[in-house]
Amino acid sequence: MSLPSGTRNYTYAQDMAILRTKTHWALFIGFLVLLLTAPLYLGNYWLGVANLIGITLIAAIGLNLLIGYCGQLSIGHAGFIAVGAYTSAVLTNRLELPFLVGLICAGLMAGLIGLIFGLPSVRVKGFYLAITTIAAQFIIIWVINHWSITGGFVGIKVPYASIAGFEFRSETSQFYLIVSIAAICTFFAKNLARTRVGRAFIAIRDNDLAAEVMGINLLYYKLLAFFIGCFMAGIAGSLLAHWIGFLNAEQFSLTESILYIGMIIIGGLGTTIGPIFGVVFIRLLQQILTVEIVPFLERTFTMLPAGFATGVTPMLFGLVIILFLILEPRGLAHRWALFKSAYRLWPFSY
Amino acid sequence: MKYKKWVVIAGVLCLALMLAVLPLLGSACAGPEEKTIKVGISTPSTGPAAEKGAPMGHANLDCIKYINEELGGVDGHPIEAVWLDNAYDASKMVTNVKRFMDEGCVLFTTSSSKMMSSVMEIANRDGFPGFAAFNAPVLHRPPQHIYGQMPDYGDDWVAFSRYYMENIWKGSGKPKMAMHLLNNTTGYGALDAAKAAADELGIEILPPEEHATDTISEIESLTRIKEQNPDVLYISSTPAPTAVIIKNAVELGMYPGVTIGLGHAGITKALVDIAGADIVEGVYGVFPTVNWGDNVPGMAKMTEYCQNLHPDDYGNMDYITSWAQSLIIAEILRVAVANAGYDVLAKGGEEAWQAVETQGIQKLNYDVGGLHGPVIYTPGDNRLSKSVRLFQIQGGEITPITDWIEAPLVKYEEFDWFGQ
Repeated sequence: MSLPSGTRNYTYAQDMAILRTKTHWALFIGFLVLLLTAPLYLGNYWLGVANLIGITLIAAIGLNLLIGYCGQLSIGHAGFIAVGAYTSAVLTNRLELPFLVGLICAGLMAGLIGLIFGLPSVRVKGFYLAITTIAAQFIIIWVINHWSITGGFVGIKVPYASIAGFEFRSETSQFYLIVSIAAICTFFAKNLARTRVGRAFIAIRDNDLAAEVMGINLLYYKLLAFFIGCFMAGIAGSLLAHWIGFLNAEQFSLTESILYIGMIIIGGLGTTIGPIFGVVFIRLLQQILTVEIVPFLERTFTMLPAGFATGVTPMLFGLVIILFLILEPRGLAHRWALFKSAYRLWPFSY
Repeated sequence: MKYKKWVVIAGVLCLALMLAVLPLLGSACAGPEEKTIKVGISTPSTGPAAEKGAPMGHANLDCIKYINEELGGVDGHPIEAVWLDNAYDASKMVTNVKRFMDEGCVLFTTSSSKMMSSVMEIANRDGFPGFAAFNAPVLHRPPQHIYGQMPDYGDDWVAFSRYYMENIWKGSGKPKMAMHLLNNTTGYGALDAAKAAADELGIEILPPEEHATDTISEIESLTRIKEQNPDVLYISSTPAPTAVIIKNAVELGMYPGVTIGLGHAGITKALVDIAGADIVEGVYGVFPTVNWGDNVPGMAKMTEYCQNLHPDDYGNMDYITSWAQSLIIAEILRVAVANAGYDVLAKGGEEAWQAVETQGIQKLNYDVGGLHGPVIYTPGDNRLSKSVRLFQIQGGEITPITDWIEAPLVKYEEFDWFGQ
């Protein structure tokens, strides 16, 4: 990691620390204060958006570990989120088990299903692997729709999340629950990337043949990436289920899976901060376009042909994504890194 | 050249900033604040159900414009519509409903059963009254805080099947009915009714087939259906997939031959436009509103607004549904204001929601200008209108063939399989 001029590490712990300067700590504490006091100045709607961002972030972190770090392309992530959501729903609704049991089992079940669909990664990669993971998306949704325990096409109700008798009923309490778990997942991903496992993932992504020659067990690490990525998807699914309170399989579409890939590409593949940028950007863009811009255009420009304003949403959404991919293909994380470098060197360019 | 990239980035940022502040500019240009009553309206105006959602959104807003400008709002209080597109996406619908709650809306509406199903638990948990134009049994059985504007998809099936047995079926024994269902509450609402009432009506139900909103071919599923020699094919779906199924049935030589019946989500002008009038000629359908041009008191004003503001929607029966929905909203608010007072509603929040429900919706007794059946709340039955009519596509026109048919309440929750 590049550090401001004059910053030195004298111990291993210092070298490994994530926050290394006083500025880091100040910014981090400021961010925490801002985040934890958000319910004081955000209404239920924006807290709802924040909760959606938090849940999406957990799933995107998992997908980033799988694609960004390990290079295993998966286009079935919404399917794995569905596995977690329905596992938690069935355990807490039908079997009346505690939320925490549902949450953990959701992660484990999604991880196990991920392992099954990850097996082809040993033999195929790239687009071929992408096609096998698309199969996961369709098979999982088909099973959910046709298995009576999940409520089929009708759907299933999900109770409020509760821990030790405390029910997360309000948007605020759900916000703290989701933010806590998202923070744990972010911290885990950041550290995982710096371990032997993370380095093995990167080696496999960069050249799996070379990685194998270096003694990395491809089967083990590829499946481990699928397990961890899908485990996080399962956790996100469980939180989504308890947040919405009702599930049906249409909430987990292929479009959603593709959107997840879009998020981590726009954010920056293979970085910890990338998914955060990508998720916040895409979810806010969706909200601003559909909630602010379109109703405004519809109300204001009544002379426009019918359907014009609503047609603007997908066009603008696509346009912004295309512009990003053209202007900053390495994602927002790269732009952030450039900004930090420029800030550290300022006022000197070199 | 050195600065070109930065200029482009700055340009993109400026564009994004301009888009973000547009709504603020709009609110800055608004007139002095009036004592309004807010209602939340969410339609799938983009996405896979836009062919229904867009005209429905137009109708909602056109009618509210009419109510505010010509009828003086609700007892002098303009209705403020907080309209949000949901793109037929559940997570967007969830945040939309939270926004409605935040903005002080006293109730919210959806046009599709799928969107309502994704938020009904949130609304039920908080007691926020929801009002679904198109609805399925699962939304309000057992009844809580979600209300159906019209009979549900199950009622459509019962009405069509009863008509078929009384007027079309001339054979002996039980006719065989195949069902092609959209893979959500729109489709499976009809199946619930078939499970509940097929024996009583004397109909044999073949194993149902299902399809998705984006289907492009149903040759395979229709081939399976054809092998079982059905007498009648019932499709409960939206117009685009319904058009695909009927086209494929024609290609396979099934139609004309079998009788085809549609639920109210499918029989609309969009179906005729997409499939072609010759393909869908003779198809039956159930719809809970009158048709364009019918001689009812509410027709003239609706036609005037539609032709002035959204002429492309003229002839689309979904427009009628949502126009009627907005008229009913106004009546709910009028009754609620009369019984509970404006101040209670103006506060928003739980007290207002409860007032709208107990002092408005549950005291309704309203004729929607004849646009659909009378709107009356019956305890234990959250369907506000309970009447449907049978239509047939004749010469490209959706033509009524029956008078209003009362749809009896089916207590689905008393069946063990319901919701499983």
